Amino acid sequence: MGALSIRNVKKSFGNTHILKGIDLEIEKGQFLILVGPSGCGKSTLLNMIAGLDDITSGEIAIGDRVVNKLSPKDRDIAMVFQSYALYPNMTVRKNIAFGLDIRKVPKPEQEEIIARVAKTLQIEHLLDRKPMQLSGGQRQRVAMGRALARNPTLFLFDEPLSNLDAKLRVEMRSEIKLLHQRLGTTIVYVTHDQIEAMTLGDRIAVMKDGEVRQFGSPQQIYDAPADLYVAGFIGSPSMNFIPVQLHEEDGHAVVELDNGRAVQKVRLSPISDSQRDFVGKQVVLGIRPEQLTDPESAHSERGNLQTLQATVAITEPTGPDTLVTVTFNGIKTVARCHPRAAGAPGQQVELTLDPTKALLFDPASEKRLA
Amino acid sequence: MADYQQSLQAKLIRFGIYAVLVLMALWYLAPLYVMLSTSFKTLDEIRAGNLLSLPGTFSLDAWSAAWSTACTGVECGGMKSYFANSLKMMIPAVLISTLVGAFNGYILSMWRFKGSDMFFMALLIGTFLPYQVVILPMAQVLGWLELENSTGRLVLVHVIYGLQFTTLFFRNYYVTVPGELVKAARIDGAGFFRIFFKILLPISVPTIMVCLIWQTTQIWNDYLFGVVFSSGEGQPMTVALNNLVNTSTGVKQYNVDMAAAIIAALPTLLVYMVGGKYFVRGLTAGAVKG
Amino acid sequence: MTASRQGAPGFSLSRLADVILPKLVLAPTVLACLVGFYVFIGWTAWLSFTESRMLPRYEWAGLVQYVELFGNDRWWGAMQNLGVFGGLFILVSLTLGLLMAVLLDQKIRFEGAIRTLYLYPMALSFIVTGTAWKWILNPGLGLEKLAHDWGFTGVTFDWIINPDFAIYTVVIAGVWQSSGFVMALFLAGLRGVDDSIIKAAQMDGASLPTIYTRIIIPSLRPVFLSAFMILAHIAVKSFDLVMALTGGGPGFATDLPSIFMYQHGFTRGQLGLGAASAMMMLFTACAVVMPLLYSELRRERRG
Repeated sequence: MGALSIRNVKKSFGNTHILKGIDLEIEKGQFLILVGPSGCGKSTLLNMIAGLDDITSGEIAIGDRVVNKLSPKDRDIAMVFQSYALYPNMTVRKNIAFGLDIRKVPKPEQEEIIARVAKTLQIEHLLDRKPMQLSGGQRQRVAMGRALARNPTLFLFDEPLSNLDAKLRVEMRSEIKLLHQRLGTTIVYVTHDQIEAMTLGDRIAVMKDGEVRQFGSPQQIYDAPADLYVAGFIGSPSMNFIPVQLHEEDGHAVVELDNGRAVQKVRLSPISDSQRDFVGKQVVLGIRPEQLTDPESAHSERGNLQTLQATVAITEPTGPDTLVTVTFNGIKTVARCHPRAAGAPGQQVELTLDPTKALLFDPASEKRLA
Repeated sequence: MADYQQSLQAKLIRFGIYAVLVLMALWYLAPLYVMLSTSFKTLDEIRAGNLLSLPGTFSLDAWSAAWSTACTGVECGGMKSYFANSLKMMIPAVLISTLVGAFNGYILSMWRFKGSDMFFMALLIGTFLPYQVVILPMAQVLGWLELENSTGRLVLVHVIYGLQFTTLFFRNYYVTVPGELVKAARIDGAGFFRIFFKILLPISVPTIMVCLIWQTTQIWNDYLFGVVFSSGEGQPMTVALNNLVNTSTGVKQYNVDMAAAIIAALPTLLVYMVGGKYFVRGLTAGAVKG
Repeated sequence: MTASRQGAPGFSLSRLADVILPKLVLAPTVLACLVGFYVFIGWTAWLSFTESRMLPRYEWAGLVQYVELFGNDRWWGAMQNLGVFGGLFILVSLTLGLLMAVLLDQKIRFEGAIRTLYLYPMALSFIVTGTAWKWILNPGLGLEKLAHDWGFTGVTFDWIINPDFAIYTVVIAGVWQSSGFVMALFLAGLRGVDDSIIKAAQMDGASLPTIYTRIIIPSLRPVFLSAFMILAHIAVKSFDLVMALTGGGPGFATDLPSIFMYQHGFTRGQLGLGAASAMMMLFTACAVVMPLLYSELRRERRG
């Protein structure tokens, strides 16, 4: 039995289908990320786990208990909200104690819990303040403290970092990760930020239009995205998608890239059965920018690197790397190069491509050709 | 030279603006001044002087007459019992309509259900209706209910027709409160009433003030419901004042009329002076949405 | 699977409460609103199609009351008075309110105090306002005497007892009471105008009057609309002011539909006619408010 099981869960309003059959399962102690663009249904799913939204059909179980018909307070969960939702009229101490009070936890025990939580989150000095007097980061901590105090089987986070500025967001992100590692809690975390998803999650569910497009570990999702959407959504800058015609030579998949002056043949990995069905047809070649780089930065031990010529259109220095935009088959393609090897607009550069990391997609179904 | 001319022109314009503003202020103040000074004059002084002349001796006779001996038709007990009627009607009506409106606003923003938005629209449309279109059936129903007590009748009517405004005030406030607050409280285990009393009501003080002040002025100042649904000794202050002023027996006692008018105006003026900020906010909020 | 049933007893109460309580608590208001407004309007409409006099009767009598109403000179006089009073009252209040708001928006010292003075009449009952102005405007001892005392002996100011002018005294008292409120609405609107727009216009070299007439005031359209609707609403149902000021007189010179309705419905035992006039008041209110509301909604949808 998992810590949280979501079985064929659907949600619809009349003919509008918000969630179209979601299946997810995580173990105790895992950190599940629901990530996707706004309107993909991730928050609705979270609200359904919390009991704040009704389930149209399907089943949600927390531990070994089906909770479909339980009200939020009986589900043994705690939730941290985007707006923090601290009770404005109560001090931090009372905010944390509110849920304990309702559950009739004796006062001395409440004091103990509050002290422990405040220590964990380093908010001891804030206990007698009102939420209005706190900074964004402090409110965030209090919101987490309120959730921790209840010591539930399942923590729910609804975009908890979206209201913080960039620097604080990174800080709080690693703190949440640390907290998770230390306390071993089971967490469901909703975000639209793919970096947050990658850095925090044990398991990521990428959602779009009320469906889970892919469910797996961060590395699985990064290296072997299920389809064009997932491939493009995860990773920054996003994966390049170049339309190509697929050929087969000596058991390898081969594609041609036109840099505007010459057509260059690129030899990829040994061709798979599913790819063989597309020989002679149009497919989409997916390459992440870091797998398209200057020869110096490429890891030569991998061998079999393919060399390509291209004309630089734009260079965008980021500091450690410079993003170089070139054109292949009429598509703007981003390569991540060492600043010294980036060249200047108009110049010819040599790029290397790691064929083992190159992916092929069916343009019609958008699925990856494994 | 040009600079000098320009600044002179600017000064003249500024002066003009202040002059107009002061003139306007005088025009708003004049009636209050006339009422006050008249109420302190004797009838002889009134006949001898004019509107703006100050009272020679500050006589309180008119005030005591207005309060306890002036005649409205056949009754000669002054305004005091009617003043009390108005208070007895206003206090429960204001409190009930505010509390119920707060609950309604809470439900219509935080606990929406199918049809709740439509109901809110239906309630809003009510704010546009002239009451004349409901008073005939209301009189009939009050008759059937055998509710003989004027104060009771007026409380009921004022609550029913005040709810649209109180609900509007609270709904418009609560839609600005993040719904996550209610979600958090539900997960913490709080129910419908606890969330309302422990979390939302404590942060609603400004809206409660707006509501109390709006309802107080509306109900105290009402005349139509008072004249239609109350009778004889149960009439509210406004009706009694109008009867006093328009009673045609005996010599016209302008000073008593004015004293009575000020007595009728005092409670709402007091409310305005104490809670003017909320009064204006209520007016504009009720206006912009209503 | 037995475990999944453990939750069952817990669910029914608190979840049911979440669903039922809001509806239960709202129910009295729903009832009050439906009966108090919608059923009662239907009821008044029904009464207007009967021959009810002292007591309500519910046999259908067709349009007799409307025929009588439309043939009634007093009714038409009242409607005409409403047109004159309403039109002037709205126009003057809007103009005065806007003017004062613009002047007050010029970083005026003591703005708060001045605003408080302009607005206090709104806290008064129309009965008090009517009583005060009735005294001020009375020809024997009021303004006319003041003018005489100041040496303008030729002045006659007897509008309140002059059938041709009495309606204008209602306008004066109405404007005195409500224009401060219109000022407050406009001032709130002016304060809501985006500062950067004004700065941009100043960069473009526009003078202050130009900025007001070309940019700021046109952007106050929604405020004009709500001010207009509120004033129209006050005008249509206005009753107490006239009752206190003139009682509808002299003669029927300041009679209004609301007074007509009240007298026929409650004091003259003409329930059916009163109901018919109430319905006409409802239509008048709708006729004024609906087109504006509709055009504004359409603008928003297109917008």
